[in-house]
Amino acid sequence: MRQILYEKLVRYIVENQDRFYRMAYSYTGNKEDALDAVQNAVCKALEAYESIKNADAVRTWFYRILTNECFAIIKKRNKIVLFDDYGGQAEVYCEQAYGQGEDIRKELNKLEPDTRAIIILRYFEELSLKEVSGIMNLNLSTVKTKLYRGLKTLRENIQEAALWEN
Amino acid sequence: MGKLEKMKEEYDYIDVPEELGVRIQREIAKSLKQKSGKNGAARKNSLSKGIRIMVTAAAAVCIIFIVVLNTNPVFAKEAAVLPGIGNIARLFTFRSYETEMDGIGISVDVPFIDLPSVEMIAEDTGVVTGELNQEMYRLCGKYAENAALRAEEYRTAFLETGGTEEEWEAHNIRITVSYEIKQQNDTYLSFIIRGTDNWANVYQDTKYYNLNVSTGKTVTLEDLLGSGFRELVNESIREQISEREMAGEVFWETDKGGFAGISEDVNFYINESNHPVIVFEKYEIAPGSSGEIEFEIVNR
Repeated sequence: MRQILYEKLVRYIVENQDRFYRMAYSYTGNKEDALDAVQNAVCKALEAYESIKNADAVRTWFYRILTNECFAIIKKRNKIVLFDDYGGQAEVYCEQAYGQGEDIRKELNKLEPDTRAIIILRYFEELSLKEVSGIMNLNLSTVKTKLYRGLKTLRENIQEAALWEN
Repeated sequence: MGKLEKMKEEYDYIDVPEELGVRIQREIAKSLKQKSGKNGAARKNSLSKGIRIMVTAAAAVCIIFIVVLNTNPVFAKEAAVLPGIGNIARLFTFRSYETEMDGIGISVDVPFIDLPSVEMIAEDTGVVTGELNQEMYRLCGKYAENAALRAEEYRTAFLETGGTEEEWEAHNIRITVSYEIKQQNDTYLSFIIRGTDNWANVYQDTKYYNLNVSTGKTVTLEDLLGSGFRELVNESIREQISEREMAGEVFWETDKGGFAGISEDVNFYINESNHPVIVFEKYEIAPGSSGEIEFEIVNR
């Protein structure tokens, strides 16, 4: 049984590695951090696979590890305030020359870290709200509130951006 | 929500660096190794099962378990207790696997060298067949991996240009990595590893191994023929070429890419009479229709 779980996890990781990277990349904002985050997450997941309680929940479980790794890496960079005492604009280290995903990042950086994670998971990784709440360890109504607030922030900014373009 | 959709699209196009796959494979390999060390008696079974799953998961991952097997003492030990044939060098299939994905069949036989006498003296001479075995794993895995990528590209191109899945299946693409023993006695072990793609003649890779059984070291032409080996070989090949030309075979002329003396790393194996046989690849000194060309060198 344990073995089947392990195999399932390995297969899941191998097949979905690109998704993990994209998520980590849009979260951390640069290639090296994204690679580190995914690698650390894979390492931790393979070490702790026995703690998966429900074999069908591998996805939620892995995303939780990955999200935590992304948080940890950003914190370690010291370029961002801890999100408990989050006060102002979150500054994420970005590679200027690395043009890819620049717009997304600009937009996402306007959000609080956990709201950013919620938006990425919900809209880009297309997970259900229930899964997102499981990953973020937040109850469903909190996720909804944060998501709503996040979207509002984005849309407000989006409108502003549109004005600038014109 | 148009903006969000645009962001999503941009998100999906984020480039994934190749390094990612390498790093993940490293982690999986590391974890498999730790696992096999931890699980006691069950480890052999579980490891090989884990490996099989991974092969089916993605052909590209095959390189991982090659490393794993190599660093896994259990497998090495298991291999060593296979029925022996005295002190004679043995070459056997250490790992054999077959997989099929998208109509592309892959079969790989990885050889393993066992030199009983060398193991005893390995510590004194520093000669380790393990390194050679490891190199062979890498080689076999690498070939299969690259070949699978080539075939996948071919498949994509085939389907994009209007080919159907059924037609693709009919191609019966096969990638094979196997080995061929040329000489195996109490003095020499000589064999060739070949990787081939059945759909493209261009893709073939051969690697020649000649070992001295009692020392485990690679046998050179100089070892076999003495210090004047170069002249001896060149002269013998020229003689044989003219004989064979008389018999109607076609060789390219020297100034048009034909034989102009052997190079440092000329391929050869040792045949059943313990003579070196020089091998030229297809197209190397003669038209492709001649295939590989061999010259047995007898030191008179």
